[in-house]
Amino acid sequence: MKTDRLIEFLAQGASTEPAPALSGRLLMTASLGLLISLAIVMVLIGPLPAEMLTTASPWIKLAYTFLLVVAAVWLTTGLAKPLARLATPVTLLWLILLGMLGLGAWTLIQTPANDRFTALFGQTWLLCPWIVLLVSLPTLIALQKTVREFAPTHLRQAGFACGLLAGALGAAAYALACPEDSPAFVAVWYTAGILMTALTGALSSRWLLRWA
Amino acid sequence: MSELNNKSAAPYSDHPLERELAPLWQQAQAGDEKAYAKALQLIARRLRSFFKRRMNNTPEDIEDMVQETLMAVHTRRHTYDSNFPVSAWIIAIAKYKLIDFWRRHERRDRLHDEFDDSDVNQAINEAALGSNASNIADVQTLLTQLPAKQRKAIELIKLLGLSVTEAAQQTGQSESALKVQVHRGIKQLANMVQKTSS
Repeated sequence: MKTDRLIEFLAQGASTEPAPALSGRLLMTASLGLLISLAIVMVLIGPLPAEMLTTASPWIKLAYTFLLVVAAVWLTTGLAKPLARLATPVTLLWLILLGMLGLGAWTLIQTPANDRFTALFGQTWLLCPWIVLLVSLPTLIALQKTVREFAPTHLRQAGFACGLLAGALGAAAYALACPEDSPAFVAVWYTAGILMTALTGALSSRWLLRWA
Repeated sequence: MSELNNKSAAPYSDHPLERELAPLWQQAQAGDEKAYAKALQLIARRLRSFFKRRMNNTPEDIEDMVQETLMAVHTRRHTYDSNFPVSAWIIAIAKYKLIDFWRRHERRDRLHDEFDDSDVNQAINEAALGSNASNIADVQTLLTQLPAKQRKAIELIKLLGLSVTEAAQQTGQSESALKVQVHRGIKQLANMVQKTSS
């Protein structure tokens, strides 16, 4: 019987090949992606004025995106394997998101009523999510190529996780060029850009994550 | 975290397959070829029953899927996480493979139907006699006792549902001859049924 022959053949390779460390590979790809996103941002828009680095706003953006990166790496590591426990990273993601939305809402309430519109939409709300998506795409593709070498069994969810990670990295890169200074803006439009990247990851997973 | 893992692993490790498979898998990971072959045999058996239950419409692909999944298990064995039962990990891969199989085939299957003689015969029998297997078997045994010409006529006209004209074309007999064969055959069948029931 053919299956028995196959088993005999496979059994000859019993000894474990050194397992490629998933988190190591992911971190490598993520760092590379961050550099690419950063390069695109700097060429396309250029760095923000140095005096803005003394204000809180770029640091809020970087803190938000960094926390998202941590949670998204965790989530992606889980979804790259056939079985994993995802409750902790998912909870973490929700906490970070709700925390940022809370901070945005709170600062919006502190803002005088006349300035609230500007605080929420800034000058670039129409552009921001699209830039985040654009600069994240190379990272997204690279991440999906990496995850594909493992054994994701829930492709759409794994693609979504790759997109979250790529989007968070792209948003971090964009934070170094973005002129907006209101936390409410970050809470809404950065999040929108990251979610758009995540959805792109989920939708493209059928092609980019399929493995045989 | 480890507490959590133990809790959910417990119901699996009581499972007879897992109890047999887990130690073999551990030995295999340490490089024991015999243990690995045994583990793969167990896995193949488990996969076969998994796919058999879910691929009723394409039984001819079951063994291919077993082999394909075995290869996936082999090439991706580094993704096994010892916090989980081996059998659960295998089934997660098998589910992925099954969904992938359905995706690959949904387009192809819309274009053609698998043609299998025995399926057609069974469908005909079911349409004529209901799906009751013993009915079908009874009629088949009675039919074999009829003369060949009568049996053929009844099969074509009564069971297959051809018109007398179509049946005449197929057998090369005249229409009136066929009608007579059917009539005689049915009469004799009725006699046989009465004889067996009395």
